[in-house]
Amino acid sequence: MAEVFFYALSALAVLFALGVVLAKSPMMSVLNLLGSFFCLSVIYLLAGFQFMAAAQILVYAGAILVLFLFVIMLLNLGDISAHSTGFLGALRSTGAKIGVAVAVAIGLALLISVNLGMLGLKPAESLPDGIDGMTGIATELFGRYALPFEAVSVLLLATMVAVVVLAKRQRPGTDARKS
Amino acid sequence: MSPMHWDWLVWFLKANVIYGGLLGTAAGMTLAERKVSAWMQYRHGPNRVGPWGLLQPIADGVKFIFKESLTPDGANKWLFRCAPALAAIPSMLTIAVIPMGPAIPFIPGDYKYFSITDLDIGLMYLLSIGGLSIYGIILGSWASNSKFSLLGGLRASAQMISYELTLILSILAVVTLTGSLDLRDAVAAQSGAIWEWHVFSQPLAFILFSIAAFAETNRHPFDFAECEPELVSGFHTEYSSMRFAMFALGEYCAMVVIASLWTTLFLGGYNVPFWEDAPWFLCIGAFLAKTSIFLFLFLWVRWTLPRFRFDQLMALGWKVFLPLALANLFLTGAAVSYGVKLW
Repeated sequence: MAEVFFYALSALAVLFALGVVLAKSPMMSVLNLLGSFFCLSVIYLLAGFQFMAAAQILVYAGAILVLFLFVIMLLNLGDISAHSTGFLGALRSTGAKIGVAVAVAIGLALLISVNLGMLGLKPAESLPDGIDGMTGIATELFGRYALPFEAVSVLLLATMVAVVVLAKRQRPGTDARKS
Repeated sequence: MSPMHWDWLVWFLKANVIYGGLLGTAAGMTLAERKVSAWMQYRHGPNRVGPWGLLQPIADGVKFIFKESLTPDGANKWLFRCAPALAAIPSMLTIAVIPMGPAIPFIPGDYKYFSITDLDIGLMYLLSIGGLSIYGIILGSWASNSKFSLLGGLRASAQMISYELTLILSILAVVTLTGSLDLRDAVAAQSGAIWEWHVFSQPLAFILFSIAAFAETNRHPFDFAECEPELVSGFHTEYSSMRFAMFALGEYCAMVVIASLWTTLFLGGYNVPFWEDAPWFLCIGAFLAKTSIFLFLFLWVRWTLPRFRFDQLMALGWKVFLPLALANLFLTGAAVSYGVKLW
């Protein structure tokens, strides 16, 4: 029974993901992304990861996608199909290149994780109360993985600062080095 | 009947009682809002329908159902119709994890908590599902194809994101003290004397939570999403009849849920002070009494304070409340990890 649900939800998640790319209006893209996240969250629930499922909804659906919607509404992005350049043009765009790169990276990650023995890595050992217990997650996150965790947050901070710097427009007549 | 059937029956009973109570309270709040405002302004308020106007919510509901439901030209029809449901459903779902009473012997010898469901991560569930009600407001405002609605939706999204941080950080301080995301544990930690309540051990978190609750439910003085002097009626300008009523229902249900959460986290939940094993009906009564205090506070503040300015709201949220909530969480964490008993 759980397997039927898993395959149905996975198919739905992939369909929603396709919808993100193919939707004509950015608003519909975000809504498709929301649907995809929900399917993922239910898959986590099926696997018994309650905390992961709730965190997925709380962080992605509740915060990040709301910010996406905020930006879309603020810029009032209309229908983008008007200035698309057809299928071949879409293939040549930067977005398509990035998409291919990401797909290849995910494929490689999958291959590596399936054949873990190849690199001599070991999968994370299971904890007594399962990785999903709050204590288990907290101990792993702030114990063994404290350094990567903090490194990621520093990376995010750096990204944020970079975005502010990039987005800050130069006013004519002002010198960047002075201000 | 077999024990499993009994479980289903008890669950069905609890769900019906709690949802009936939630929707009844939401309907009663619409009347209370008008009555309280009338009393504060030396008027009578609605007093024609039934004794003291008590049947007014029913009259309103009938009127909403029979009015014509308009969909503006140029609106995104599908989203326009979905949005009211998206606004109302999440806030109704969240009541499911609030423990409203102690273990009650529904069947002799078989004790069940008086909440629809018991989740280990009840608080996470409540916050994550409750955070979704913003989609109804944003999508409804965008789908209306009206500049006033769009501005209301924009403000709502910015405001909800900003104040959700303060809300969650103030809750986390309490979670640090209790050491659990299960709301039943939060209630159990506050049993006994009145000074066990978290309002005394976490006064700052209590104040921050109370203020952020107003912003999260889009209530006055932070109701910038509708802000009638500037935006006609904000995000629901284009809505009429039952669709409009669904937005109102979502708002009032969110108020009830956040008032119950306030009670559960800070005011000892269903505990009767100084009486640890009070009978269950007194416990439920205590819960309802404490929750109605905050519900009254919503109305009291609405008819007392003027509305803020939007930039004031954002500055207050990011520059005052967020640092305070972070500092509070840091201090609480330090105190707990070094074993300092705060209270």
